[in-house]
Amino acid sequence: MTRNGSWKIGLLFSTSGVTSIIEQSQLNGALLAIDEINAMGGIKGSPLEPVSYDPGSIVPRYGELAERLIIEDKVNVIFGCYMSSSRKEVLPVVERRNALFFYPTLYEGFEYSPNVIYGGACPNQNSVPLANYLMSAFGKRIFFVGSDYIYPYESNRVMRNVLRQGGGEVVGERYFDLETCSDGFDDVIKDIMDVRPDAIFSTIVGQSCIEFYRSYHAAGGDGRICPIASLTTNEGEINAIGARASVGHITAAPYFRSISSVANRRFLKAYEQKFGSTIDVTSCCEAAYSQVHLFATALEETGEMDTDCLREALLGASFDAPQGQIKIDPDNNHTYLQSRIATVNEDGEFVIDLKVRRAIKPDPYLVFPAIHDWSFHTQKVSAGGGRGGGRHA
Amino acid sequence: MHDLIRDLRDQNVLLIHPRDRSADELLQQVNRIGCGFDHMWPVPRDLPDKFDMVLVDVTDQSATKLKGFLEKREKPVTIIAIIGYENPSVLNVILEIGAHAVLMKPVRAAGVLSSMLMARRYQSEQERFSKDMAKLREKLDNVQKVNDAKFILMRHRGIAEREAYDIIRKQAMTKRTTTTEIAQSIINAESILSNLGDS
Repeated sequence: MTRNGSWKIGLLFSTSGVTSIIEQSQLNGALLAIDEINAMGGIKGSPLEPVSYDPGSIVPRYGELAERLIIEDKVNVIFGCYMSSSRKEVLPVVERRNALFFYPTLYEGFEYSPNVIYGGACPNQNSVPLANYLMSAFGKRIFFVGSDYIYPYESNRVMRNVLRQGGGEVVGERYFDLETCSDGFDDVIKDIMDVRPDAIFSTIVGQSCIEFYRSYHAAGGDGRICPIASLTTNEGEINAIGARASVGHITAAPYFRSISSVANRRFLKAYEQKFGSTIDVTSCCEAAYSQVHLFATALEETGEMDTDCLREALLGASFDAPQGQIKIDPDNNHTYLQSRIATVNEDGEFVIDLKVRRAIKPDPYLVFPAIHDWSFHTQKVSAGGGRGGGRHA
Repeated sequence: MHDLIRDLRDQNVLLIHPRDRSADELLQQVNRIGCGFDHMWPVPRDLPDKFDMVLVDVTDQSATKLKGFLEKREKPVTIIAIIGYENPSVLNVILEIGAHAVLMKPVRAAGVLSSMLMARRYQSEQERFSKDMAKLREKLDNVQKVNDAKFILMRHRGIAEREAYDIIRKQAMTKRTTTTEIAQSIINAESILSNLGDS
């Protein structure tokens, strides 16, 4: 605790640059949770005090600012990062200084650090349900597009394996620079129109994701016939793309804004009160929100910012998140998460089609997810988000 | 995708290490990676057959004892040495026991997977090379034998190399055996005959 009697925590999300849409929403999620905790009287009578920096979506800046948070601002707990490359910058810093780092983003797995709590999905928690859904609802010929960095490669590797097990086929695979503008997609969209896949699996992130969906629409692509399926395209991007160009497209994620539950309604109401609208609420935003709450509960228990004490309190901790119950897996510091598949409707809102029955255990070191794993059995979600009857494999 | 990466979860790993924090870190990481694992300490008498990989703390261990333990088994095993010091005597132990990779204490979770993979690769290549080597050596011996036999025939019968070889091959076919066997018989016969001449 600092002299003026508050608990300082660091926030490292870009509010400018290519990944600012999503990182802004993560920042908002964290700030909302901080507000809620402070409104309830803080932790042991002292409020949480966020120290926030904007790395501007520039990868090396994340590491530098993490160092600054720890050294100059005397912060021991940091929430932040979207892209894996930025996490890899922060990782050695928090390990060297033994700080605690919360990463509220889905990523490609194959990492464990005692100094990191991973709040987003690993491939085993969302790729398998998505692959099953695409093949049963649309067909087995899938075209891959992705941004040119580690997450898309690894995510596509997993997807390719799951598809093959189900008799699917990858009919094209292309990667693009993060800065790619709309005309940069002309070639691949022409290719897609020629090849006529049953669906497109996209791991294009950031601003270029918006450009890609728009270009696809402009070239006559229709999500209701051949959808773009993604793990990363959230409410924020759909809002920027616009309802007309995004209708029919599919995303798999632990959380969608349209979930019908008491916890989610409470969350959305509070978000709207603070930020004016819920237009940019995404699964990564919800993850940041939930991680701050998990941290606060742990801090209430330990009463000190010591990394080792906090970790002990966090491992195995659960939280009634907007997505449903989540839990930090003591085996690997990742999080048990829900898994849902949703389609964008005419109003540009995600409608949840399927969800798995219970939170899926994270398996960050899984090389080959098995398509028929029982834990991936999904159930239909009716229009209101309640329970439906049908059971799908 | 390389088979070694795909099959990593099939590996059964034995950790031989005092039960301390390093051991816990290691066991947890092996568990995260998804391999079957077990822990033993001190160094057991025998290495159970089910283990494919051994992670062994070589601190204060005698190379001879470790080597005896690791080599007693028929089935080859992948060896990863865990070391606390990098002085020449420790380095000597890891060379002596034929470790395929090394992990340094204190153990960090990151890097264990790569070490396991590189050790597996090194061990499986070594095994393949020594098998190939044995095969080549045998083949070379055989060629040498057939050559020797050919020269004996050429000398005794005053025939050309090609004819000598044809004789050996025909004999092998009639007797349903290999050219090497026939060559060996010719060499044996020659040595008996020449010894008779000497006495």
